[in-house]
Amino acid sequence: MNPREEKVKIITEEFIENDEDADMGRQNKNSKVRRQPRKKQPPTAVPKEMVSEKSHLGNPQEPVQEEPKTRLLSMTVRRGPRSLPPIPSTSRTGFAEFSMRGRMREKLQAARSKAESALLQEIPTPRPRRLRSPSKKELETEFGTEPGKEVERTQQEVDSQSYSRVKFHDSARKIKPKPQDEEELLNGDDAEDLLLGLDHVADDFVAVRPADYESIHDRLQIEREMLFIPSRQTVPTYKKLPENVQPRFLEDEGLYTGVRPEVARTNQNIMENRLLMQDPERRWFGDDGRILALPNPIKPFPSRPPVLTQEQSIKAELETLYKKAVKYVHSSQHVIRSGDPPGNFQLDIDISGLIFTHHPCFSREHVLAAKLAQLYDQYLARHQRNKAKFLTDKLQALRNAVQTGLDPEKPHQSLDTIQKTINEYKSEIRQTRKFRDAEQEKDRTLLKTIIKVWKEMKSLREFQRFTNTPLKLVLRKEKADQKADEEAYEAEIQAEISELLEEHTEEYAQKMEEYRTSLHQWKARRKAQRAKKKKRKQAAEEHPGDEIAEPYPEEDLVKPSPPEPTDRAVIEQEVRERAAQSRRRPWEPTLVPELSLAGSVTPNDQCPRAEVWRREDVKKRSVYLKVLFNNKEVSRTVSRPLGADFRVHFGQIFNLQIVNWPESLTLQVYETIGHSNPTLLAEVFLPIPETTVVTGRAPTEEVEFSSNQHVTLDHEGVGSGVPFSFEADGSNQLTLMTSGKVSHSVAWAIGENGIPLIPPLSQQNIGFRSALKKADAISSIGTSGLTDMKKLAKWAAESKLDPNDPNNAPLMQLISVATSGESYVPDFFRLEQLQQEFNFVSDQELNRSKRFRLLHLRSQEVPEFRNYKQVPVYDREIMEKVFQDYEKRLRDRNVIETKEHIDTHRAIVAKYLQQVRESVINRFLIAKQYFLLADMIVEEEVPNISILGLSLFKLAEQKRPLRPRRKGRKKVTAQNLSDGDIKLLVNIVRAYDIPVRKPAVSKFQQLSRSSRMFSEKHAASPSTYSPTHNADYPLGQVLVRPFVEVSFQRTVCHTTTAEGPNPSWNEELELPFRAPNGDYSTASLQSVKDVVFINIFDEVLHEVLEDDRERGSGIHTRIERHWLGCVKIPFSTIYFQARIDGTFKIDIPPVLLGYSKEQNMILERGFDSVRSLSEGSYITLFITIEPQLVPGESIREKMSNMLKKFESQEDEKLLQATEKFQAECALKFPNRQCLTTVIDISGKTVFITRYLKPLNPPQELLNVYPNNLQATAELVARYVSLIPFLPDTVSFGGICDLWSTSDQFLDLLAGDEEEHAVLLCNYFLSLGKKAWLLMGNAIPEGPTAYVLTWEQGRYLIWNPCSGHFYGQFDTFCPLKNVGCLIGPDNIWFNIQRYDSPLRINFDVTRPKLWKSFFSRSLPYPGLSSVQPEELIYQRSDKAAAAELQDRIEKILKEKIMDWRPRHLTRWNRYCTSTLRHFLPLLEKSQGEDVEDDHRAELLKQLGDYRFSGFPLHMPYSEVKPLIDAVYSTGVHNIDVPNVEFALAVYIHPYPKNVLSVWIYVASLIRNR
Amino acid sequence: MATASPSVFLLMVNGQVESAQFPEYDDLYCKYCFVYGQDWAPTAGLEEGISQITSKSQDVRQALVWNFPIDVTFKSTNPYGWPQIVLSVYGPDMFGNDVVRGYGAVHVPFSPGRHKRTIPMFVPESTSKLQKFTSWFMGRRPEYTDPKVVAQGEGREAQPG
Repeated sequence: MNPREEKVKIITEEFIENDEDADMGRQNKNSKVRRQPRKKQPPTAVPKEMVSEKSHLGNPQEPVQEEPKTRLLSMTVRRGPRSLPPIPSTSRTGFAEFSMRGRMREKLQAARSKAESALLQEIPTPRPRRLRSPSKKELETEFGTEPGKEVERTQQEVDSQSYSRVKFHDSARKIKPKPQDEEELLNGDDAEDLLLGLDHVADDFVAVRPADYESIHDRLQIEREMLFIPSRQTVPTYKKLPENVQPRFLEDEGLYTGVRPEVARTNQNIMENRLLMQDPERRWFGDDGRILALPNPIKPFPSRPPVLTQEQSIKAELETLYKKAVKYVHSSQHVIRSGDPPGNFQLDIDISGLIFTHHPCFSREHVLAAKLAQLYDQYLARHQRNKAKFLTDKLQALRNAVQTGLDPEKPHQSLDTIQKTINEYKSEIRQTRKFRDAEQEKDRTLLKTIIKVWKEMKSLREFQRFTNTPLKLVLRKEKADQKADEEAYEAEIQAEISELLEEHTEEYAQKMEEYRTSLHQWKARRKAQRAKKKKRKQAAEEHPGDEIAEPYPEEDLVKPSPPEPTDRAVIEQEVRERAAQSRRRPWEPTLVPELSLAGSVTPNDQCPRAEVWRREDVKKRSVYLKVLFNNKEVSRTVSRPLGADFRVHFGQIFNLQIVNWPESLTLQVYETIGHSNPTLLAEVFLPIPETTVVTGRAPTEEVEFSSNQHVTLDHEGVGSGVPFSFEADGSNQLTLMTSGKVSHSVAWAIGENGIPLIPPLSQQNIGFRSALKKADAISSIGTSGLTDMKKLAKWAAESKLDPNDPNNAPLMQLISVATSGESYVPDFFRLEQLQQEFNFVSDQELNRSKRFRLLHLRSQEVPEFRNYKQVPVYDREIMEKVFQDYEKRLRDRNVIETKEHIDTHRAIVAKYLQQVRESVINRFLIAKQYFLLADMIVEEEVPNISILGLSLFKLAEQKRPLRPRRKGRKKVTAQNLSDGDIKLLVNIVRAYDIPVRKPAVSKFQQLSRSSRMFSEKHAASPSTYSPTHNADYPLGQVLVRPFVEVSFQRTVCHTTTAEGPNPSWNEELELPFRAPNGDYSTASLQSVKDVVFINIFDEVLHEVLEDDRERGSGIHTRIERHWLGCVKIPFSTIYFQARIDGTFKIDIPPVLLGYSKEQNMILERGFDSVRSLSEGSYITLFITIEPQLVPGESIREKMSNMLKKFESQEDEKLLQATEKFQAECALKFPNRQCLTTVIDISGKTVFITRYLKPLNPPQELLNVYPNNLQATAELVARYVSLIPFLPDTVSFGGICDLWSTSDQFLDLLAGDEEEHAVLLCNYFLSLGKKAWLLMGNAIPEGPTAYVLTWEQGRYLIWNPCSGHFYGQFDTFCPLKNVGCLIGPDNIWFNIQRYDSPLRINFDVTRPKLWKSFFSRSLPYPGLSSVQPEELIYQRSDKAAAAELQDRIEKILKEKIMDWRPRHLTRWNRYCTSTLRHFLPLLEKSQGEDVEDDHRAELLKQLGDYRFSGFPLHMPYSEVKPLIDAVYSTGVHNIDVPNVEFALAVYIHPYPKNVLSVWIYVASLIRNR
Repeated sequence: MATASPSVFLLMVNGQVESAQFPEYDDLYCKYCFVYGQDWAPTAGLEEGISQITSKSQDVRQALVWNFPIDVTFKSTNPYGWPQIVLSVYGPDMFGNDVVRGYGAVHVPFSPGRHKRTIPMFVPESTSKLQKFTSWFMGRRPEYTDPKVVAQGEGREAQPG
């Protein structure tokens, strides 16, 4: 099948379909109808066309059968063939097909969418092709191209009509389904035609159509109709606006419209025409008749930075160019044009002269002359202004206005308004009159003063018989017409009187009104009173008993008096008096003073000697001026002699070539007397000229200056700053200061081509201000720019700035401010001006929302929320309790909470410390976030030659040396750690001298009743221990089975049990460390307050067998542990020290029942001379943190650097010396502590020796051992050690070390080593000892302060925190090395080879061993102490102590019961009272040598009990440490069923509320 | 936390470190980790990873292809602190020492969908020429104490003096 055939087939089908469509409507008519459309189906098969066709068919011409050959045929002819059916045969086939398919499709009829037909209608071009011969087909297609014309008839009008009709149907059809359409069609005008046409069409025609032709004319015609070519003509505005609307120009109304984008005029017109045609509603046009347009969106600068394209250009973009730094000189347009080197601006300063208004060499006459001249100037100025005249005129005008206002001829205003304006006028008249009177009076007094001064001067000249000044005053009289004058005067007075009278009448009326009302009231009250009186009288009659009725308060009711009417005479009198005073009387001539220099000065030879001297002195003097630009001298005038008239003429012009905008311009006036050095008289500050002031136009201005120098002269000159008098008796003294005026002019120079050489305004501080520019025009331009405001406003007006353009807003604001006259320069700076723009919720909402609050608090780093994770999304998910702690803390900030502290004083102190801490932390907050390079980047240090050498040496080193060196651990910065990463390693090596069980205990198991007897024996002979032990030993009894328990952060670990008093465990315990809140930052770690408790216990096995019968078959034992002592090491110490390695003294209670020291050890150590001083038990430990953390050392260094910047009251030189000293010391021995300055509690740097000064210890302590100095010293040390210890590092977050003075320390009752040491040292100094503060390192404290004393040939080292003291050669002294010694007047740095106290010499007088701070080159300047003169101690309050004691006891008992939740806790009251009695004895003896008495006592009373317990002693700070201490002993852990407890607390008060707390805890088990 | 099941939103990150362009270096490996704010918590997947060592491709692109997968899920209550991925690339230097070749960070895309990010990499410079030489010689180039600092703002202010 060839393609054509196929096509043909398809066409046929199409045809049939169309046919069918057309057919439907007609089916009910007749069979012909049915056939007809099929045959002659018009191309579009659309009813509209059919309609028209049919009408044509009805035409008589229709039956023309021949195929028109040409297109030139008439319409009808052309139309004919179209309507002709196709070739019958084909149509037959079509019909056959139709009849077959028609049936099939009839069902689908409804589904035939109207869209299909509509489509066919709408697109007339695809004219249905008929099945015909190919030649015909060609024709057809040609026809198809002109769909619009097929329906045309001969007449164009008709055609157009039908066309429009067609259109109508067309559109109707589109909307309606087909059958309806058909009906409509029938209802249409053409119904008949259609029917007719149908008849005609019934015949089968064979039509041949000629090719359609359309004349060019027609085509144009059609095109004209179809196409629209918008005109380029301007559209008249009325077309663009709704009718009767005038165009409205928003811009003219003052609204900001913005700049429209540029569009060519013609294009705009075209668009307008187009829019008008398309859219007649004129929606596109604005009120001004123009097309609506947004302002031009194009910005002059790209707002987006150039984007790096992915590959090729990155390198190019990153490539940097090196440009040599060029000194910035502003290149101005002007300057470049003028050809000058850039930045060459010129300021011309013309100094024309200098006039002294007072000078020391002034004679009295000169003083008067100056005064006269001044007054005359004033007079001239006033005369010129003539304010009095102005006010008089104004007054006149106002009066006229009132007159006219009152005129009844003008009733055009309501009476009310007239009255109002008149009242306003009147008040104004009053005001003006007052002003005028004042002005006139001033004028008059000025004139009088001038005359008075002139008279004085004349009399002075006469008196001294010579004249010094050429001044001469002439009074010119101006006679006026007396009569007119008088009339005017009188009229004025009359006017005034009448006005006043009027005022008074008004006032009178007002008063009268008041009077009436008050009178009325008065009457009413009186009446009431009378009635009352009457009543009371009656009452009095009825009850004669109380006849003494109080007098009626008639006095209260003063009858108001009527106001006095004003008397005209009085007013007149007043007015006349006033006029006489202030006004020129009519008969007086007008006086005009004239000052001239016409007088002659008496020559020298006629003057007295003093005057001659004065004149000679004046001649000797000369004056010159220095010109200072930006406070630098740039030039000076020639020195000119002072003239006799005290005027100096310079007449010099200085051309200052400048680069920058000037900051200041100053003239300095220098005076030279003879050949002596010039003295600076005064400084004159010249204003910097405005940019408009250029040379030639600048007026000469006078600037006043004055000096405060005092000069007394021995001649006629009156001097300066010295009182003198014109009177002979010296009264009425005057003091004048040297003063004067410089006349000058400052202006900008003009370049060669007339352009002023002014540095651009932008140069002044532009960088700083540009940021502000947008916000505040005034601050951006600056006050200097303000002066030029008028010009600016003018310029703005000229350049037609749009006042509504937002871009110009700052400028407009500026101009409006300037033109309104008052220049308002904001004196504030607003930070974050745009904050409001960014507020997404209101502040209230922000505060109300819990989530926002939480976020806010977290970002503020409030401790409670600092590490709060996952702030919930919704408010409802946030519990109220989250804030509870925080709110509580806020509330408690100022409330002293006594519950936790019990003692109010300490509570206050705690609060105070908290506040100090907060303030300190705030101060250092900034520095905390200050990172050093080392914090961010790990970088190898620059190897110096020694390191290089060492590393070279290392190359030659053995790979595996026989004696390997320990390598340092790698340090870990604390930032990327989390829970569980950090472990605390505690290595317990061994212990010495652990107390051993008394044999009594061991024997107890064998002979249960012997203990009492045994101990009694011991009490009798305490010195016989050793034999007993020796006797015991053979029995094979274990002396003690100690083990160590380490507890830290609620984790407890313990070692295995060793045996004997010198056990060796060598065990490593590992304890996890958790930072508070999971915050492992350095700052957080530094403030960890946790303490590592190392407790030593004795493990005791008890057999619990009830009877001996089972002994053979089984062993039942109970393990008991007895606390022996403890060592406490704060975590902060470990953190800062990184590792702690050493032997520590175990803190053993003074009495350990059932235990005693093994004495034989002492015998072995016989070499130690002061052994007895430091006896005790010791434990060797090694503690470290794994991994090693970097302590916040860098922060500390940063802090110390910062701290130097804090203000200090020390001498600058001293501070420099300290820095030098420290640097020198650090260079030699970097590890030794050297301290010269410290920070006091207010943050100031203080020289350290100021802290040392003899201070009196409490008298109470001195009285205890009046004759024993050593005992007193120990007592004092004990007192100091009882003050609680509080490390600064903990309280101040490791930030800094604050030193408080001793009185502050005693007030705070808390401090760290330094404070303790300072106080102890001061006490020792006051006791007359030689004492020094010793800075060094100790175990376990690390860097610390001790006290060194010199006593009877040996040095003693005191630990101020424990009160213990050690000999210099004591191996167990915790002090390990010595950095420096500090005395009250010097500092000595240890420059010996060793720093261990055992190996150094403490003789500070030897400069080879000790480097002293103050030496011969820098002598001690005698620094005053920061300490108080004397410490004042309050007596200890025994009652309060007793109360506290009871409370603590109660709390502790409760706690112990809490700790034993599963057991019954019984308290043995008998034992408790025994213990309570015993504690004061312990305090008295300081816990020494009482054990045996004590034991005896106890056993006597509690013979039946097995007893274990001990007294604990500690300084009192809070309750919590006491509880912890009791807990750590583990007394409560005994779970023997019948155990009983005893607990006693004793508080011994020392002066200044220092409390020593003893707690005796014991457990008792009854022996059966 | 306040309630038993507080509302959170989840951010799932799936992707890979595809390839790198280090024209001068070869045999590199990379390490990724995430930096996120306090309100964020990883719930699934790996927060950190170290890739294999890759060699340059032999074609013109010379790309170092890792195709190293990233798969992590975060939950959060607050967009503040949106996670950033921090990449650090290491490789041997001339003497075989492992040195850092680049650090870089980018925010996890804010919108769902497939995103491709190219991160410019950088390394800290030595403070002086001499140090540059010695660090080159010793194979101890300057490194950040923690690669996460590249995603943080602290310590970047100009330091006085």
